Amino acid sequence: MLLTRKSTSLIDKDGAAQGRLARSISGMLGRTIDRRAFLRRSGIALGAGAVASQLPFNIVDRAEAAQDAGGKTETRRTICTHCSVGCSIDAVVQNGVWIRQEPVFDSPINLGAHCAKGASIREHGMTHDSHRLKTPMKLAGGKWQKISWDQALDEVSKKMLEIKKASGPDATFWIGSSKHGNEQSYLFRKFVSMFGTNNMDHQARICHSTTVAGVANTWGYGAMTNSYNDEQNSKCVLFFGSNAAEAHPVSMLHTLHAKENGAKVIVVDPRFTRTAARADTYYRIRSGTDVAFLWGMLHHIFKNGWEDKDYIKARVYGMDKVREEVAKWTPEEVEKVTGMKEAEVRDVAEKMAKNKPSTIVWAMGQTQHTNGNAIVRASCILQLALGNVGKSGGGANIYRGHDNVQGATDIGPNPDSLPGYYGIAPGSWAHFARVWGVDLDWLKKQFASEAMMTKPGITVSRWQDAVMEKNENIDQDSNLRAVVFWGHAPNSQNRGKEMVEAMKKLDLLVVIDPYPSATAAMAAMVRQDGVYLLPAATQMETSGSVTASNRSIQWREKVVDPLFESRTDQMIMYQLAQKFGFAKEFTAKIKLSKGKGGMDEPDMEDTLREVNRGVWTIGYTGQSPERLQAHMRNMHVFDVKTLRAKGGKDAKTGYVLDGDYYGLPWPCFGNAAMKHPGSPNLYQTDRHVMDGGGNFRANFGVERDGVNLLAEDGSHSKGADLTTGYPEFDHVLLKKLGWWDDLTDDEKKLAEGKNWKTDLSGGIQRVVMKVHGCHPFGNAKARAVVWNFPDGVPLHREPLYSPRPDLIEKYPTHDDQKNRWRLPVLFKTVQQANKDAVKSYPLILTSGRLTEYEGGGDETRSNPWLAELQQEMFVEINPKDANDRGVRNNEYVWVQTPTKARLKVKTLVTERVASGTVFCPFHFAGHFEGRDLLDKYPEGAAPIVRGEAVNTATTYGYDIVTMMQETKTTLCQVVKA
Amino acid sequence: MRRVLMLAFAAALTWSVAGCGEKPMVTVYKQGQYQGKPDMQPWDGDPFKGDKNAWEKTVKARNLGQNEYVRISGGS
Amino acid sequence: MARMKFLADAERCIECNGCVTACKQEHEIPWGVNRRRVVTLNDGVPGEKSISVACMHCSDAPCMAVCPVDCFYKTTEGVVLHDKDICIGCGYCFYACPFGAPQFPQDGAFGLRGKMDKCTFCAGGPEADHSAAEFKKYGRNRLAEGKLPACAEMCATKALLGGDADVIANIYRDRVLKRGKGSEIWGWGTAYGKPDKPAAQPGAKS
Repeated sequence: MLLTRKSTSLIDKDGAAQGRLARSISGMLGRTIDRRAFLRRSGIALGAGAVASQLPFNIVDRAEAAQDAGGKTETRRTICTHCSVGCSIDAVVQNGVWIRQEPVFDSPINLGAHCAKGASIREHGMTHDSHRLKTPMKLAGGKWQKISWDQALDEVSKKMLEIKKASGPDATFWIGSSKHGNEQSYLFRKFVSMFGTNNMDHQARICHSTTVAGVANTWGYGAMTNSYNDEQNSKCVLFFGSNAAEAHPVSMLHTLHAKENGAKVIVVDPRFTRTAARADTYYRIRSGTDVAFLWGMLHHIFKNGWEDKDYIKARVYGMDKVREEVAKWTPEEVEKVTGMKEAEVRDVAEKMAKNKPSTIVWAMGQTQHTNGNAIVRASCILQLALGNVGKSGGGANIYRGHDNVQGATDIGPNPDSLPGYYGIAPGSWAHFARVWGVDLDWLKKQFASEAMMTKPGITVSRWQDAVMEKNENIDQDSNLRAVVFWGHAPNSQNRGKEMVEAMKKLDLLVVIDPYPSATAAMAAMVRQDGVYLLPAATQMETSGSVTASNRSIQWREKVVDPLFESRTDQMIMYQLAQKFGFAKEFTAKIKLSKGKGGMDEPDMEDTLREVNRGVWTIGYTGQSPERLQAHMRNMHVFDVKTLRAKGGKDAKTGYVLDGDYYGLPWPCFGNAAMKHPGSPNLYQTDRHVMDGGGNFRANFGVERDGVNLLAEDGSHSKGADLTTGYPEFDHVLLKKLGWWDDLTDDEKKLAEGKNWKTDLSGGIQRVVMKVHGCHPFGNAKARAVVWNFPDGVPLHREPLYSPRPDLIEKYPTHDDQKNRWRLPVLFKTVQQANKDAVKSYPLILTSGRLTEYEGGGDETRSNPWLAELQQEMFVEINPKDANDRGVRNNEYVWVQTPTKARLKVKTLVTERVASGTVFCPFHFAGHFEGRDLLDKYPEGAAPIVRGEAVNTATTYGYDIVTMMQETKTTLCQVVKA
Repeated sequence: MRRVLMLAFAAALTWSVAGCGEKPMVTVYKQGQYQGKPDMQPWDGDPFKGDKNAWEKTVKARNLGQNEYVRISGGS
Repeated sequence: MARMKFLADAERCIECNGCVTACKQEHEIPWGVNRRRVVTLNDGVPGEKSISVACMHCSDAPCMAVCPVDCFYKTTEGVVLHDKDICIGCGYCFYACPFGAPQFPQDGAFGLRGKMDKCTFCAGGPEADHSAAEFKKYGRNRLAEGKLPACAEMCATKALLGGDADVIANIYRDRVLKRGKGSEIWGWGTAYGKPDKPAAQPGAKS
């Protein structure tokens, strides 16, 4: 029992936390509590809090000032920036100062609810005691020096152009952000393309790249199929690789509502998470053995005939191949590998099979593994076998991380695709040259060569290798010489110690961020100069759209003007484009508006209109700013369970909302005038395509080895003219079917020679959907076998740093790869070299989230209301492992990994983790191997709470398909400090 | 220092009151002994200007906002 | 007349601390003062439960009973408030309170020894409603704006309810019926005594 897991201790005069983990009490006290004990213990804990209250009640003065000043208050509606749930916030602003926050009960997504982060987001608008990066800075002689914007832009652009001239554009690397809005992400892709390289990436690489690739290759789109809301229709919810109660707290509103109405909630996790504590059933699994567990479930499903045979026959390709692999996973073998008993695995399988529709939820617990792509595909296959995909209450509810990681993945800076997953093939470049209104030949000249233009860039997970690797081993001319961190935390990536070495070696390092971030401190630790920090505005200081995990797009109003000297990301991009000489092309088809200080910046609404004109593949075309804004003003008309508007007319514009799904979840095909309502659940055949229905995508041909890949007869979306499977539509197919004349003459002109993805008139989509009820991307089967991946059928492979060397031979990792994403990547070499690592490092190290912080944590650890709640980095360790090491609760220990990096952290002795596994949260940074980097941050801009980054010590390991980093399973030792 | 003061108070008062708030040991508080400033009613100031009914209605609506069943079943 | 109460549903609370930061930001509460906190029992083991605790605005409030200077009063809606100008910061209410609600900022507006501070049910204090003085001493007065406490209104899972005891008891009872099983409400008996009528008894099967 404990009273609080949060520290309540003092902060010292410097504001530095000297926290203690108040959870520690849990180890000492009994498991039950009576009222008297509760009273007594309340006294203990709260007494500590009461005595701790050293700070004056002086913060009131600033708010009081705002209040006394009087003046009219205005309410601006925005969306929380701290996770992908998409909670609405009403910000109350008076005289340009954000004075209060009100719940938005009308929002169908959060119904007014917030977690600790959402309820304290007003800190974004605070100027008093803010820990923001306030002015541009440069590192000079090892010290941070204030500089002007003009100087910063001049120097940065000059150095960039020098590097481009000397070593080519591919010597630069641009790390964008999943915290950019859709328009900013889209502009970022365009901006870096015009600079001349595909070397750009963002957080999706290290959070859900394996999902995006694995899931899209299975059935069409790499996104959450249903929605948080739709869980209310589920009868069974399996959380496997997600700790939603801490990572997506407000989603639990829907989950617990479903549970209350009879849904069974199951958690399978190496850790007894807070989600597990709220579930009906919890089973523990060995970290990194996900595929084995999923095949173990399917073993029971096939054995008992619980699979949906008709569904598989009509809509799934290759399930027979999966059966062969699953046959190997007998209950004995599953137990040997996962540590789970037959009864446990069977129980989960039976609950999922007999309480349909059932859904599976995952997040980074599945994705961040060396075989992440296989794990997520095995999860998809489970849902296909049960016939749950394309069903309300079913699906794969994949919880994305950042507020706009879905949107940034869809239309942002990806090294291998243009906005809307258009590959970087010549045809896609031609399409976007048209959309952007620039000459294709000019665009080609920006790149080093056409070969480099169509070669996927380096991934963010491996930028340090692109700096450090021998030049002859990398698949581009120069190693990286300049890296721009534009809204990215380095401590969210593995191998932190090596990253510092790479930072040291760079010619230029630029951070563009509202906060200096751990990048600034890490760089200042090893460098004297060549580092620039440019203050960016937050999403509260600009407007734009944001895509929640469920693909709903919401429009943010600007709450306050950019604080301090910060500028919006779009303004910084535009100003750098001016310096680079392509500002005119950058905004050829986008209107400029006046931003901070009367300076020009790309207009966000107009940028969205350009997105609407170009991104046909995933239906980002129907979400005009006008429609999205009408949704924001009329949230109350949307049903919470279905997300669909029941009636309603926008008072301001007269727009009729009836039938729209909230936020027009993509795909929202056609142009805005076609009024597609959005797609709340993907691939749902029991609805008409104009009601958001659909089917699996035909993206992989029509047959393979004589086997039909298209859907079987009778399997199609409701009301479709074609009642069998069909390929994707282009002008030829339209003509063959005799549908060409359904196009208007104007549409025909633009559609000639084009397909549903490149027809800028939207005519092909309109005719196919509205006139004939078909899906523009065709109607095919989902693929249980993804033959274009190294493991067509997902296989269990032991982690590179395996705690079970006895299993390595049977379940080895991949062979080393010479060239993936321009770099060699090691598998077997590392696994073999560390076969005996478990002897010296006997504990599994895994990582995860805390409710109070987000991502690398630079923003949230700088928010006093959140920082107070989690003051210290810690490691959760089982009492047995602690006792064996002679360490007690709340003592300093060193966590050491095979990289030889070591972390000085406090223990939290708890049975939450099993003996043999330890857990660290990944949001901390600012300490490095026992050293506080406070003096390495610009003055006044260090986060309030600093601590060791777990990723300083995490080990090598990447997914073979996407270069996702392994951070969920490695090895460590814990010793007393 | 604070602890010392608290102990002094505890000693000055009946010991049985000191431990916890169990009912039989708690002195019954009588209305009317309050020594501080009088407070307004919540509906007295802006925006209700004394309209108690309007205030009660508003609070009630707000209260129901906490019940997601109302919003989920299509109510306001 | 409404009788204002809080109710924390341990089946719903996920210990996200939304209530804590909602309170902190609404009233600009300084570091170290916790009008509200989340308490977790059986942390990390099966049976783990959390509830959010603040002043429960007891019907028969021990703090009022023991206050040597009688600085407490109860509003018509049943909210327990106090006058910081009278409070001597002795801490006796803190000993009496079964929930450990009273807090003692040690420096601050009133001199060296801090006055007691606690949850006001977002109802301010005995200063003119919405005045700067009220905000400075007690925080926002949401109740006078026709709103309910920020913590309850922003609760991530609607675990924490705040408002008219009858209304929130109804909301809670509906949930309990849906779940088909009863649940204990922490501190209900202590805070609220016997219910006015059986219908208001949370956790009762009716």
